[in-house]
Amino acid sequence: MNEQSSKLYGVMAEFATPEELLEAAEKTRAAGFANLNAYTPYPVEGLSEALGLKRTWVPQITLLGGILGGCAGFGLQYWTSVIAYPLNIGGRPLNSWPAFIPVTFETTVLGAATFAVFGMLALNKLPQPYHPVFNVARFAAHASSDRFFLCIEAGKASFDGAGARKFLEGLKPASVAEVLDE
Amino acid sequence: MTAQTYTAPDSVARLSRRALIVGVLGLAACGIAWTGRSDEFYHAYLIGYLLVLGAALGSLGLLMVQHMTGGKWGILIRRPLEAATRTLPLLALFFLPIFLGVSRIYGWAQPVHGELSEFQKNYLTVEGFRTRAVIYFAIWTGLALLLNRLSIQQDSKPEDRMLRRQLQLFSGPGIVLYVFTMTLAAVDWVMSLSPQWVSTIYGFLFVIGQAITAMSLMIAILVMLAKSEPMSRVVEPKHLHDLGKLLFAFIMLWAYFSFSQLLIIWSGNLPEEIVFYKARLMGTWGFFAVALLLLHFALPFLLLLSRDVKRSSGLLPKVAMFLIAMRLVDLTWITGPEFSRQGFQLHYADLAAPLGIGGIWLFWFAKQLQQRPLLPLGDPKLAEVTEHNEH
Repeated sequence: MNEQSSKLYGVMAEFATPEELLEAAEKTRAAGFANLNAYTPYPVEGLSEALGLKRTWVPQITLLGGILGGCAGFGLQYWTSVIAYPLNIGGRPLNSWPAFIPVTFETTVLGAATFAVFGMLALNKLPQPYHPVFNVARFAAHASSDRFFLCIEAGKASFDGAGARKFLEGLKPASVAEVLDE
Repeated sequence: MTAQTYTAPDSVARLSRRALIVGVLGLAACGIAWTGRSDEFYHAYLIGYLLVLGAALGSLGLLMVQHMTGGKWGILIRRPLEAATRTLPLLALFFLPIFLGVSRIYGWAQPVHGELSEFQKNYLTVEGFRTRAVIYFAIWTGLALLLNRLSIQQDSKPEDRMLRRQLQLFSGPGIVLYVFTMTLAAVDWVMSLSPQWVSTIYGFLFVIGQAITAMSLMIAILVMLAKSEPMSRVVEPKHLHDLGKLLFAFIMLWAYFSFSQLLIIWSGNLPEEIVFYKARLMGTWGFFAVALLLLHFALPFLLLLSRDVKRSSGLLPKVAMFLIAMRLVDLTWITGPEFSRQGFQLHYADLAAPLGIGGIWLFWFAKQLQQRPLLPLGDPKLAEVTEHNEH
């Protein structure tokens, strides 16, 4: 890693328990730090609230997917049976909408589920083959097994790395490290 | 969990008093309709009865599902569910006018009736109708009393694995028995109004309708209980969220069953089947059909889609109570056209019967709710449910 060309991504603190992490996250937010993120080996209740994360757009994206899927499913059937290939079946009207409902329902579910999964991935900026947090050795070794990490990200604005480090050290973490972006 | 009493708050006593007044007035109006010897009384009574029976039987079904799945959603409403199942003896009593008035209600029990098959002639008899009704009520009441007895024993013996096992052992076959007997009861009490017409999903339409009625009632009751001590310390938005999600699923299932029946009959387009929908999609009954599609499905579907609505102690019970009203509209739409094919005409008994039976039922339900602690104190999952953490 070339120290000269790397810039500061953020400052990270390591905690041994989820309770310590929750407390630290609340204190950090109260101290006015923005752009917080936390990394835990398993879901921790109340962490989103402690970090002050905004509510996700996934529900709205899912709804949009459902509406689009439903319209597309119904539209496809309408187009094939009324416009492209009109057939008289048992004297029924060409637009026999009750018969279209099951497929419309299925495509609604398909659209909603697809948008939910890919919308979630897109909002999480996944897949992401490189992320600067893995440059911290202790993070790479422990984040997915037995340690809880809180990261103050630098963001775009002017960021006082030393000040953030000092504040995090005041929270009595197991360790503090600068996260460098190569 | 510290030692707390969990007795019913004053609001339950208030509810029971008010329900009693409504019930007595409603039944008095029913009595006037009955002395007028009008058929409208029997028609309205049957529909009103089916609605209220749904609250009790739906609760029995949900209670058994709760025992089987052990879901956390059902712990807080277990005692209200049990209280609702203990009203089944009262509902057996309320069945008497139908039991005695078979020949006033059902065409097949009258001397002059339409063509019946050989099997129908033997099956649809007044004695058979009455015997089967007694058997249905014996099974439902038996299941309810059994589950209630085991549940109260569990309060003092939380460590008893055997009791938990027994509750499951009876609930599994109980669910099968409930769906089976309810299907037969729906055939006896409603479908036999037009013996020439058959539908195999008919019983399930009643079962899911009862689940909606019961879940709606439970949401309304839980929110009412949560307004005062001791339940105000326990109930949180996440609990309502779970119940709201289930109600949402039930509404979709109701729409799915209803539409399946329509689609199959519409596709077949056979004269003996299509009469059912011809009577129900034309004239004033057609307005009922549109109202059901929009207000029993579309509106609650869109409302309950929202997370905020499902977690709201203000809006969710309103949606729930609105759905109970829509259940009455649905039952009227299913049953009513057999009595008045030309169209719907409002008779005062149409409102008096559900209010009368429902009022007395609610009074009795509230009395039952006061008799036991509001939480199943011996349930091993209770502590987990009452933990204070948001998700």
